[in-house]
Amino acid sequence: MPFDPSALTLEMLVAALGLGILVLGLIVPKGSRHGLGWLTLFGLLGILGVAVSMWGDSRELIGGMYLVDNYALFWKITFLLAAALVVLGSMRYVDDMGSQAEYYSMTVFAALGMMVMASAGDFITLYLGLELMTIAFIILVCFRKTDAKSVEAGMKYVLLAGMSSAVLLYGMSLLYGLTGSVIMLNVSQVIAVQPLTPALILAVVLLIAGLGFKISAVPFHMWSPDVYEGAPTPVTSFLAMGSKAASFAVLLRLFVTGLPGIWANWTMVVAILAAVTMIVGNLVAIPQTNVKRLLAYSSIAQAGYIMVGLITASEAGIKGVMFYAFLYVFATVGAFTVAGYFYSVTGSDELKDYAGLSQRSPLMAAVMLVALLSMAGIPPLAGFVGKFYLFKTIVDGYLWLAFIGLIMSMVSVYYYLRVALVMYRDEPLDPTPIKLPSPVAVTLILAMVVTMVVGIYPGPLSEVVNSAAHSFFLH
Amino acid sequence: MSDWAGVFIFFAVAIVFGAGGIVTSFLIHPRRNNPVKLEEYECGLPTQGPTWVQFRTSYFLYALLFVIFDVETIYLYPWAVKFQSLGLFAFIEMIIFIFILIVGLWYAWKEGALEWK
Repeated sequence: MPFDPSALTLEMLVAALGLGILVLGLIVPKGSRHGLGWLTLFGLLGILGVAVSMWGDSRELIGGMYLVDNYALFWKITFLLAAALVVLGSMRYVDDMGSQAEYYSMTVFAALGMMVMASAGDFITLYLGLELMTIAFIILVCFRKTDAKSVEAGMKYVLLAGMSSAVLLYGMSLLYGLTGSVIMLNVSQVIAVQPLTPALILAVVLLIAGLGFKISAVPFHMWSPDVYEGAPTPVTSFLAMGSKAASFAVLLRLFVTGLPGIWANWTMVVAILAAVTMIVGNLVAIPQTNVKRLLAYSSIAQAGYIMVGLITASEAGIKGVMFYAFLYVFATVGAFTVAGYFYSVTGSDELKDYAGLSQRSPLMAAVMLVALLSMAGIPPLAGFVGKFYLFKTIVDGYLWLAFIGLIMSMVSVYYYLRVALVMYRDEPLDPTPIKLPSPVAVTLILAMVVTMVVGIYPGPLSEVVNSAAHSFFLH
Repeated sequence: MSDWAGVFIFFAVAIVFGAGGIVTSFLIHPRRNNPVKLEEYECGLPTQGPTWVQFRTSYFLYALLFVIFDVETIYLYPWAVKFQSLGLFAFIEMIIFIFILIVGLWYAWKEGALEWK
């Protein structure tokens, strides 16, 4: 099949946008770089439009190295939306921080890495996308160069991301050695007729460990609270949802497309990992007093819920993962944009400083509440529907895991509502109202509205996700 | 005796020769210590003043910039060797690749990475 560049339209557009912003940042004088944020936002929205118009396109490039299908496209739309929301919500924050051009172009490049990951059909492409995303995130994490915490977070992220990449690569190289191919579709054919050798087991363990780091599944989670706390808040939100969603996209491709025969033997391992991740994430979140740290542990727990969808590896499971990841983007953007703007105004991430936020800024408090309750899975918010789709798939066979998920969701309500209590019950120490600039307000309202609407009326999104999950098995 | 016995004997003799010297000297050497003799053996002079100093990172920036051209060469070389058979498409691809690298260099230049202050 001849190479058709038009299948890569989205990636090329995003790369051009990232480069263009970097170049514009060089040309435009320092004082007037404020417009770069808007340019990035409209660029991303334009590409999002192109992405939506490409729905239904299904191709394999270069013998299966790059897979273009609805599954990949759904993830790409999710990443573009996430990047656009992060940019919209962080304009004020970035103007305070300086270096707008670098910030926006790195955000765009991180999104590009995620998009490549979603389409990757072989290990090399997968790794390229992963590294592009990771390197962009490393730069973003230590963006507040003068803040020791941010630099420390960046350092930790470099070291641990490097280590996890090494582990992942080793697993991939073992698989290549065993099968003689790096293309997942070919690997699955070779694996299907091979017995389960110790080397193969080692390869799968290494792959799970390497990607487990990226989704911050326990026991590979130790980096995330520190990095999430130290990174600039908009970056944290992008890291929490984007990087995680992309890694889930890759996990599904790798194990369901690449190693389908083996996957059946590994569901117990994944089930246990998911259970441990939910338990540890939720229990450790309880005593946290820093809002960003609390959200970091909650995001570990969320990874545990999403992992549930990997267990059945059926169309329903994949649908659950995609649905939940999509909702999680909005809930995360809502919660972290509140935290980020609150930090811009007060310079604090501590929970006690959130006292009386409902009186100072009713919108911020409301969005925080809706986002947290959605993460807890309280109906009628979107998180409930997402959890329903996820746990529905494992009721036969893994009922115990569904119970753990249920109990841990109840535990999570406790610490989520503690935040709500501080915001709504306590009297503010400093009662001056917080004025929201319009981009932040728009981000918050969008996050809240989507979380509520999808919760009440999940039909349309569910159908889109169904079609995307269906295309996954067509290759 | 197999052919490998020679190797084994060689190693055994080597170990005895090396360890023997140390053990013998440990057994028979005179024990007259003084402070200078008991100092830890280290190369170089004792340090003067605080050792936690900051290093210039300019070297590092230069090294990074070097990598740009390093990577460029890695890709340019096979491309140049196969240029005849690759055709126009590969030529345009390479132009784009070099363009991206040049943007990187331009960025570094503009941000002052090439200036030695």
